[in-house]
Amino acid sequence: MRGRASSRDGVFALAVVVAAIVAALGLVACGGDTVGGGNSDEVTTAEGGPVEGKLTISNWPGYMDPGPDNTVAKFEDKTGVQVDYIEDVNENEAFFGKLQPQLEQGESGGRSIFVVTDWMAKQMYDLGYLQEIDHADLPTVFANMRPQLEDPAFDPGRKFSVPWVSGMGGLWVDTAKAPEIRSVNDLFDPKYKGKVTMLGELRETVPLVMLAEGIDPVEATNEDWLNAVDRIGKAAESGQIRRFTGNDYTEDLTAGNIVAAIGWSGDASIVENPNAEWRMPAEGCSLWSDNMVIPVGAPNVGAAFGWMDFIYEPQVNAPLAEYITYIPPVEGVQDLVKPELAKDPLVFPSPQFTAKCTDQDSPPDIEPVNEAWQEVITG
Amino acid sequence: MSLRQRLVPYGLLGPGLLWLIVFFVVPMYFMGELALRSGSLTTGYTFDWAWSNFPDSLAGHTEQIGRSFFYAGTATLLALLIGYPLAYAIAFRAGRFKLLLLFAVIAPFFTTYLIRTIAWKTILSDSSPIVSVLQTLALVPPDGRVLATSGAVIAGLTYNFLPFMILPLYANLERLDLRLVEAAKDLYSSSRQAFLRVTLPLTMPGIVAGVLLTFIPAFGDYINAQLLGGTQQSMVGNVIQSLYLNQRDYPEAAALSFLMMALILAVVSVYIRFAGTGAFMGDEEEAT
Amino acid sequence: MALATRSWAWLRRNALPIYAGLAVAYMLIPIVVIAVFSFGATPKGKLTFGLDNGFTTEYWTSAFSLPELNEALFTSLRLAALSTVISTAIGTLMAIALVRHKFRGRRLTNLLIVIPMATPEIVIGASLLSMFIYYTVALGFTSLLIAHVMFSISFVVVVVRSRLIGFDRNLEEAAADLGATPLTTFRTVTLPLLAPGILAAAMLAFALSIDDFVISNFNSGTTVTFPLYVYGVSLRGIPVQVNVLATMLFIVSVLAAALVMVQQRRAERMAAVRPEPIPA
Repeated sequence: MRGRASSRDGVFALAVVVAAIVAALGLVACGGDTVGGGNSDEVTTAEGGPVEGKLTISNWPGYMDPGPDNTVAKFEDKTGVQVDYIEDVNENEAFFGKLQPQLEQGESGGRSIFVVTDWMAKQMYDLGYLQEIDHADLPTVFANMRPQLEDPAFDPGRKFSVPWVSGMGGLWVDTAKAPEIRSVNDLFDPKYKGKVTMLGELRETVPLVMLAEGIDPVEATNEDWLNAVDRIGKAAESGQIRRFTGNDYTEDLTAGNIVAAIGWSGDASIVENPNAEWRMPAEGCSLWSDNMVIPVGAPNVGAAFGWMDFIYEPQVNAPLAEYITYIPPVEGVQDLVKPELAKDPLVFPSPQFTAKCTDQDSPPDIEPVNEAWQEVITG
Repeated sequence: MSLRQRLVPYGLLGPGLLWLIVFFVVPMYFMGELALRSGSLTTGYTFDWAWSNFPDSLAGHTEQIGRSFFYAGTATLLALLIGYPLAYAIAFRAGRFKLLLLFAVIAPFFTTYLIRTIAWKTILSDSSPIVSVLQTLALVPPDGRVLATSGAVIAGLTYNFLPFMILPLYANLERLDLRLVEAAKDLYSSSRQAFLRVTLPLTMPGIVAGVLLTFIPAFGDYINAQLLGGTQQSMVGNVIQSLYLNQRDYPEAAALSFLMMALILAVVSVYIRFAGTGAFMGDEEEAT
Repeated sequence: MALATRSWAWLRRNALPIYAGLAVAYMLIPIVVIAVFSFGATPKGKLTFGLDNGFTTEYWTSAFSLPELNEALFTSLRLAALSTVISTAIGTLMAIALVRHKFRGRRLTNLLIVIPMATPEIVIGASLLSMFIYYTVALGFTSLLIAHVMFSISFVVVVVRSRLIGFDRNLEEAAADLGATPLTTFRTVTLPLLAPGILAAAMLAFALSIDDFVISNFNSGTTVTFPLYVYGVSLRGIPVQVNVLATMLFIVSVLAAALVMVQQRRAERMAAVRPEPIPA
């Protein structure tokens, strides 16, 4: 009796499930609809307004000086705007992933400003998720922006992005253990097997490897990208590369697990290894910026503009630069910071220093390269 | 049975079922629908009954799936071997200190996963004394390392899912009537026999629960492999993560997820059949 | 010789407690490391696992000096507490129904309970987010609570069920025979006997909630939970206060348990002093 009941039970359950699925899919199938898809045709220009009210900003961690008298507090005192400063941009893609459904609907989740890296800003713009910025609304910004940042390849004429900081991707080397590493090619030397790491972000690592092969990443063909990915893939499989990291390469450096890593110029404050230093690779580095952008659906754009202008005042940006230790975007900061910092080529690089450096760029046809890269990353 | 009596189970199940249906099944339906679409972020995702997403998502990822089985399975076994005696000791030998010990064992897991893992990474870093000891004991090759290996990932999984094993084991063990074990011994069975013939079968529901609660989430875990593994230790969770966030191939990510869930369900059903459905489902109330 | 046999015998007798002691030590290793390094002096106020810079208690005295950290921790504790209470209640009721009662759709219910555990977190997180957006539910504490309860229910059910199975019904039948209504029986007999299972399930639900990262990341809107905060600062160096607070959390939990234990002992001793009258 019980046996029969349970098999009848099972069939009943199955029937319910199947019926539900068929019904649900039937409703959708009538549509054959398409969801998503970018459209940068109907881009709006952000409209300014009075600098008041509430402002929500999403930024990367470590990009704001701490303490009760920090830059946020100064802005609040000066303008009366209430700032909700959130550090929830940990990775470009993870941030994009969680914001995408809202941006798709034209919402920004209450945020007026995000800060994302060049290529992600471009991607968001191409999908129609960002608003354009009228330079007339940001007099201080465009008066004080460093000239090298005024016309980048990913945003000619700065239509939708305002740099927060810039940085360089290059080599971190433990000079006590491997002083002779000076080029990204050295990372492939079997001598250092299992003792090197590379960044898991496609646009950070592969252009550097291509540079080391003498290829200009901005001009490179898909073929070039795929070859470089392949070379890295083989090194990963053979165990030459210990692992692909995010910001946590600094932990490996500190712990002495590695002798060299591809990493960022401004991370000196978190690498607790006195022998480790950032080196400009012989063939050149990669240059990137993290940029403020105004998303669709951003509330209180007036206050956002006020914030951007405020940040671009040299006397405001100087203490910020002292904390962040990345390259400030504002002209004139070098004279206002501590002398040791002013002389630091990693924070104030001369044009000669970055002569061979390349802008970060995406491959011409991103999908096959991204797919190949993900194969490499996920073993 | 009166109507009211017959409705009682539905009343008990009601809130839970409702919550799960609204906040799990409905989103899953959205996911399922997404799995049948094709396209990309720039072109949009068109619904075109793209059943091919399912085999496509499997292709090229069989290695990670096998690896996930191996890692999760080993971690579950280790957790069982460590957790069962511990749960037993807390249930029967701890006396008044039961609650204290239980909390002491679980409370480290109230600190965030990330901090625990960083602590382990420090303990197991290449230059730490622990690794040197392991090298002397020849458990690790002399120029080898512990981090960024399969061993580290399995160790991480085992550690982080131990509470999932211990708590159900404890919950079940605690009500074991020791007099039954005594009775077995009175009937001349050895300690070992008493354990195998009395304790083990009676605590099987706890073991089944613990194994399920450990294996299932461990299989889909990605963060242990990400933080403790090297380039060759990725699991299915990492693949899905990468498909979703990096490649933004939502349909394939959804398809692979469904396949993964189906796979786990299949394994679980086989396991339950093997362990006895009574141990998992309990008895339906017999009409007396 | 006798010493050897005696020690061997002692070892065999106490093998279980020794093994258990080792296991407990193993589980406490990271928390010990965390606690020790919360006393490390670091020039930049960032966490290092090394005491080369000296020993200091300054981070313990300034443990609550980081407002974002405090807020994140408080949010997580509130979230975990609420999530635990709700999911444990709902899950216990479901477990009782599943083990004790007859009803249609048992298989389906079992399926519905197991599947969420098998679903990768990113899928749950992303699909919940999509649904919330679609139905314009505001993202924040409420959406987080909904998500946390959802993924905890399954775990609670499995734990409580494993305790319920094979439960000795005689006690409840005896209560019924003595004239107790089903509700009274439930309250005075079933529930207390179930208590260890419910407690275990609650502890698991609490740990699940306070530790959740992926699902929270997707569904938190602009609310910051403790794991989200830690993940964020880990990119630029974790402040030592995080270690301090983590250690405090551990100590508070264990102290709470100790307090309960002391209370229980006192209750027992009181009962011993005033013995129950022996029934005739």
